[in-house]
Amino acid sequence: MKVNFVRMKSAVMPKQERERDTLHTPLLKVRNVSMAFGVLAVLKRVSFSVPRGNILVMIGPNGAGKTTLLKLISGLLPLQEGEIWFKQQRLSRIAPHRISSLGITQLFQDIQLFSNMSVIENVMVGCHLRAKTGFMRSGLRLPSARADEQSIFEVAMSKLSLVGLEQKALANPSSLSWGQQKLVGLARALATGAELLLLDEPYSGLLTDEVDKLNKLIFELQRQGITILIVEHLTDILMGIANQVIVLDYGEKIAEGTPAEIQQNKQVIDAYLGGGSLESERG
Amino acid sequence: MLVGVKALKEIPRKVTSANLQSLAIALSAIVLLTIPLGAGPYPITVMVDMGFYTIITMGIILLMGFAGQISLGHAAFFGCGAYASGVLTTQYHLSPWLALFLAAIFTGGIATIIGRFMFRLRGLILAGVTLALNLVFFHLVSSLVGLTGGAMGMMNIPPLSLGGFTSQNLLFNYYLVWIIAILLLVFSLNLANSRAGRALRSMNVHAGGSEDAAQVLGIDIMKYKVWAFVLSAVYASIAGSIYAHYTRIIEPGTFFVPLSALVVIMAILGGMASPWGAFLGAGLIIGLRELLRESMPVLVGGVTGSYELIAYGIILVVALLFLPQGLISIVHKAVPKKRAIVNES
Repeated sequence: MKVNFVRMKSAVMPKQERERDTLHTPLLKVRNVSMAFGVLAVLKRVSFSVPRGNILVMIGPNGAGKTTLLKLISGLLPLQEGEIWFKQQRLSRIAPHRISSLGITQLFQDIQLFSNMSVIENVMVGCHLRAKTGFMRSGLRLPSARADEQSIFEVAMSKLSLVGLEQKALANPSSLSWGQQKLVGLARALATGAELLLLDEPYSGLLTDEVDKLNKLIFELQRQGITILIVEHLTDILMGIANQVIVLDYGEKIAEGTPAEIQQNKQVIDAYLGGGSLESERG
Repeated sequence: MLVGVKALKEIPRKVTSANLQSLAIALSAIVLLTIPLGAGPYPITVMVDMGFYTIITMGIILLMGFAGQISLGHAAFFGCGAYASGVLTTQYHLSPWLALFLAAIFTGGIATIIGRFMFRLRGLILAGVTLALNLVFFHLVSSLVGLTGGAMGMMNIPPLSLGGFTSQNLLFNYYLVWIIAILLLVFSLNLANSRAGRALRSMNVHAGGSEDAAQVLGIDIMKYKVWAFVLSAVYASIAGSIYAHYTRIIEPGTFFVPLSALVVIMAILGGMASPWGAFLGAGLIIGLRELLRESMPVLVGGVTGSYELIAYGIILVVALLFLPQGLISIVHKAVPKKRAIVNES
């Protein structure tokens, strides 16, 4: 679904709420968000918030509306009902590139690396917002454009280095394993300098050692102050890294709490696992 | 020379293939500058013609090959440059060089306005609108008799002149067209390997890009689509202005749909992955046209008429079938591939 985004001054949080919005209040607030594709309701009045620096994991079976919710936050789908607030700004009718410039980016389930570029160029695209060089300065290769390129390159290399793939900088993404491609996607997302990372099924298709590597990386990002919202259905992996878990089922939030609380929640076990245990779900 | 991991403090020239590009540009410039030496007027005239096509096709490659958008109406911008130059010099008596510059700005402005509305559309509808744009332009310049001369065309357009030479001199035109083509090539190559160029390539869904991924990385895809369109229109406008001052007479039929289609075919045949594709595509098609014009009467024995066009069409179809990525793909295969640094340290 495509919409024409109107460039409008986004709504700003009322003064009273703005004053309460300190460093300790949620970075992201989702309030009563509903979404339907035609007559099919995909999300039904979903509300939650993500505190700054937390790792929130959203689980639910296929078709629960998890990916749709991520796309609503990143602006790739238009918000039909409800409110999404990021810091002090309401994300309504704002184009995805502007939402990205506010500090939100997304790693897609299918990664969507640019196969027409090398690995380093992919990550350099992630640095787009870090420079201002336009067509003329780029085409004329003015000193300012060269300086921008150099600084973009250095940031991109540092992000590749963080995910341990600096040695693959000149490779084509298609020559990398699925797990390495996920890491390049993550490096590209980090290159934007986002404060909130939306990760759509980052663990799918990863080998055991790659899962461990990604876990360590996610903890490192959290240590650096980045807030992370992960959508997954491999619950046993996530229980170890989440600060907060939300469970969606048929577009409705059926539970929210710490991993331990969710693991004991009977409604979650019934709805999501059909009576099985959360630990044995993955197999 | 291999690049080690520890040496990666600066952008490796391998990322941009800068060494190879510089060499290729230098060699091309030398070849193009020496071609006229000892050549008669006819081959030089053909080469001037080829130069115009190369410049327009380069713009098409920026739009289609880089940004992944389509235009089947670029002859309108070629005509826009030609007519704007013609009107400014014949009716307002401006210097031809100033007219060339103002025509490019005017065409860029028109393209900006059209682009902002047009790129809300996609696919076949977008292609149809660009085609309609060419038709509108044709009928507009045919109708505005007082300004453009209508179907009879515009005459007595003053030539460009520089240092005692004018564009009535064939060699002057040759060097002017090809120097501009080389300068635009350098501009395009710089752009391709820059922040803006990467933004264009990232949203090209026909060549491994993704609009969604580009947007969540902060790229304003509408702005970049419009910019690519404007830039390609300005390339066509520059070619159009030089053409007007070279031929000194222009008429609407020159700027009609067949020219728009031809430059797209040149871009596809040359290869849309690189601005070099414009040189290859224009070179092959114009070269082929001239070769058939010379050889068909000998082969058929007598007047050839449409045989040339039939052979021309068949050769193009076969070339596209066997080289869907264009001639540039042969060059890319011949050049050693970039190797992962891991194997080079």
